[in-house]
Order: sequence, then C-alpha cells, then structure tokens
Amino acid sequence: MMDFLNYAINGLLLGQVYALLALGFVVIYRASKVFNFAQGELMLLGAYTVWSLSLGANLPPWLAIPVAFVAALAYGWLIERLFFSRLVGESVFSMVMVTIGLVILIRGVVLVIWGAADRQFPALLPTMPVIVGEVILPTSMLIGAGITLALTLSLWYFFNRTRAGLALTAVAEDPCTAISLGIAVKRAVTLAWMLGACIATIGAVILLNGRSLNVLSADVALAALPVALLAGLESIGGLMLAGAIVGIIQSLVAAYIDPKLGGSASSIVPFVFMLFILVVRPTGLFGWRNIERV
Amino acid sequence: MSAPAPQDAPPLLAVDNLEVLYSRVILALKGVNLQVAKSGCTALLGPNGAGKSTTLKAISGMLSVEDGEVSSGGIQFAGDSVVDRDAQRMVASGVVHVVEGRKVLRHMTVEQNLVVGGHLRPSLTEVRRGLDQVYQTIPRLAALRTRTSGYLSGGEQQLMLIGRAMMANPRLLLIDEPSLGLAPMMIEEIFALLGHLRAKGMSLLIVEQNAQAALGLADHGYVLEGGRVVLEGTATQLKANEDIQEFYLGHQAGGERRNYREIKHYRRRKRWLG
Repeated sequence: MMDFLNYAINGLLLGQVYALLALGFVVIYRASKVFNFAQGELMLLGAYTVWSLSLGANLPPWLAIPVAFVAALAYGWLIERLFFSRLVGESVFSMVMVTIGLVILIRGVVLVIWGAADRQFPALLPTMPVIVGEVILPTSMLIGAGITLALTLSLWYFFNRTRAGLALTAVAEDPCTAISLGIAVKRAVTLAWMLGACIATIGAVILLNGRSLNVLSADVALAALPVALLAGLESIGGLMLAGAIVGIIQSLVAAYIDPKLGGSASSIVPFVFMLFILVVRPTGLFGWRNIERV
Repeated sequence: MSAPAPQDAPPLLAVDNLEVLYSRVILALKGVNLQVAKSGCTALLGPNGAGKSTTLKAISGMLSVEDGEVSSGGIQFAGDSVVDRDAQRMVASGVVHVVEGRKVLRHMTVEQNLVVGGHLRPSLTEVRRGLDQVYQTIPRLAALRTRTSGYLSGGEQQLMLIGRAMMANPRLLLIDEPSLGLAPMMIEEIFALLGHLRAKGMSLLIVEQNAQAALGLADHGYVLEGGRVVLEGTATQLKANEDIQEFYLGHQAGGERRNYREIKHYRRRKRWLG
C-alpha cells in the first residue's frame, strides 16, 4: 500500500511538471492556433543556456536563472520574428509544419554550439528528497509542482480577469474579431512565443535538475502533449488536473506493469491515452467546444 | 448626380474615389464617394456583392485581413487622411467597425466581451464607467452580464455587439447588417438603440439590406452596385425614388405592394446610369 502511495504521489508530481511544459503549448496555441511541436526544443535551448551560464560562465544560480529567462524571451521573440510573423495569413497547417522544421533546426543548432556529448545539468534546486512518513518526494519536483500551481493561477487570472489578458483571450477566440476591436494581434502572438519559451526554460530547470543533458532531453516535452490535449488546448486551469491524471497513470504503469512485461510500457502510456482522448473527446476535459445554437 | 453634402459643416468622414483591390487582381470598389456628417447617419444600400462591406472594411483598416488594399482614392476622417491606418489605430482614433456575421467572442461572458471592447481605455475606473454606461443604455445586457455570449439569442448578441462597440468610445460607428436574421420587434429595438446613440452625438454608417429600417433612421443614403455608387440622396429623396421603392421597399410604381409569390420569374433589373 505504501508503495502504491509512493508511486502515485511521485506520478502526481511528475504530472505537474508535464502540466508546466503543457502550459507553454497552450499559451502559444491560444494566441495563434499553432500547435508547437518544438516546445521540447525550446526547453532544450533554455536548458543549454542555463548550463552555459551557470557552469560555463560560473554565474551563481540566483543570477543564472533570471538571465536564462531573459535569453528565453529573446529566443521566443526571435523565432516569432524570423518565421511566424512572415506566415501571417498562411494556413495554420503550414505554420505547424514550420514548428516541425524548428524541431530539426534547433536540435542542429544545439549540436553545433554545444556538441553531442552528455552534459551534467547543474543542480540549481536541492537534490535531497523530502521524506514524509514513508513517502519519498524529490524536492525539485515538489518545487516544480508549486511553480506550476503559481504559474497556472497567475496565467488563469491574467487571461480571464485582466484587460490585457482578456484581449489576448479574444485573440484566441477569433483573431479577425480581435483585429476589428483594435487589438494588436501580431503583438499578442509575439508575446505568446516569448512566454512559451520562458515557460519551457522553467520546465528545464525543474525537470533536468542535476541530471544529464543531451539533445534527446527534448523528448520529454512530447509527454506534455497528451496533457495539453486532455485538458483541452485552450484550457489553462485544466492542465494541472490533466497532468495529474497522465502522471499518475504513467507512474503506476511503470511500477506495476513494466516489470511484468520486461519493457517500458510506461513510456507509451501517455500516447495511448492521447489517442483515446482524441477519439472519445477531442476537445479535452475543459477545451472550448463549438457552441451550436439551435 | 453630385448631391450637396449632407450639411454645410465639413463631414466627419469623406470617402473620395475609393478603389479597392483584393489579392491584387479583383477590383471590388471602382471609385466610391460617400460622406458621413458629424452626428449624422448614413445608410449604405445595395445587393449582395455590391461592395458595401468592403467599403466599411476599407474605412476601418480591416482590408489587410482579407488580402485587400486600397489601390487609389482617399479616406478622410475628422480632417486627417486615414487610408493607411490599420484597424488598431482606427479604433484608437474613434472609428469602430461592428463586422458582419455577429462576431461575438463566443466562449467569453457578456461582461468579458464588453471589457475587451474597452481594452484601450486608460484605466480600470474608466472601464467600470464604460460598463455602467452600457448597462444603463442597454438594460437588457445588465441581466445577461455573466452569461456565455455564444448562447445568447441573435438579438441579444447584436445588442451586446453594439455595447461592445460603445466601450471603445467611437465617434463614428460602422455597422454591418445589424438586422440580419432578426425578428421585426428586435430590429425595431436595435434601430431604436442606434437612434439613441446618434442622438447622443455618435455618427453612424450603416450597411443594410433592410432599407425600410435603415432609411427610417438615416438622414442620407447611398446605393452601391458593382462597386460603384449608383444613387445617392437624402433619406426622403431615396424613399421617394421609384427604383428604391421597387427594389428595396417592395412597392410598385402605383404604390400597391407587389406580391412576389405570384411572379415566379421576377427578372427585371435596373440598369443604373452610374
């Protein structure tokens, strides 16, 4: 029973980090209806930047992390300027294809600049686990869940309660109408990419804390895809619940089914789950359903 | 053909020989001239595809959304040339366009829609004041403030759209087919509201298929066909015009109503002398 609780709680925490990564997807999707397949690569850029700043330039964490966030904002801005602002008016499909191109491009850039070798990602957060009774909790994940909660609440408040945020939500709803109301839609899209890159970097700091970093580290963001889909691509508030569901299922499968199969069923579980959602409820738990009036 | 300006004062909006190209090849407007007086109401009539909506989009800076551009001609608003201002700057200068097709932000509540409409207001107190004003002018919206706008009735949505436009404090309101698909009672309410706004000093440019309602409110009207103004005049002149009566108001020359059910192949079309 204690094992079960341990697995479930650790899955829950892992799910919250997925939810954090998924926040990046959702912010960009809301602004431009573009499903950014390169979210993991944005994370990768952020991760290597943090690595360079703290181990290359020997900056203390309290300085390295903010500088990396500023750099991430710049990456998001640059990517939007270079690629997506030129595609205004093109179909969403071609923009999604560009994000797939970005996956390859950013991985290439990372390989050229930082090389293919494994790097030790700095442990900016404490690595000692917190032990509550018999439950062992990794501190970095606990902090991560806290950050996810804080970020979710503030983004939800921003998008639903503040004027600037409501204007961005209007862009998510219908860019044409937003333009007719005098909202700077292009600026909204740029802002979304900057925010998306920054969130990805936060995710990198939490997820890679003290672990090894290489190009394949980006793959973890794929696990955030099912979370974003389950929550419904427009939903910010639903991400934590969706993350918890996906994380707990994955963790339990890893604990109880993987040993029996001798393989890693746990790594495909999120995607099986994703297919299931797409068939049963394509708008996710809290996504915007098409409103049909009869 | 050139009727005198609606009033002697310089018009708030003057569109001068406007030509609009879509996708660099399709000439949608072929030299449109029209004016809206300060606190005046101008109606733009015409069949589908005449260029009415295009005219509004050219004024409000919305053409670029559909790959359109003003290829020649001028638009003067409050004395300034505004041809190449984008929608954002037009809203800031006081021109708000309620686009066709009742574009509510469907998943947002009525109040959220209104707040978005007032996003350029400088402070939160200003937004509050705007909301109070809207709810006072359109009491029906106050009761609906927390409702998801996508589930409102068509008439309520239209009222909300006008309220949302009011939040931007427009000097000139461009409104595209406000009566489309609404019940006669509702159309009356919408036009009464527009009349009220006009009485408070807002200028209006209304695109309508419902000529009866539009000419009831407007002081001046233009008939567009094939991208040209084919007829213009005061509302009284237009209502008295034989062709307007036949094509837009459903009266025959003699004054009795024509029953279109009995004339299955009504093909007569007027050749306008543009």
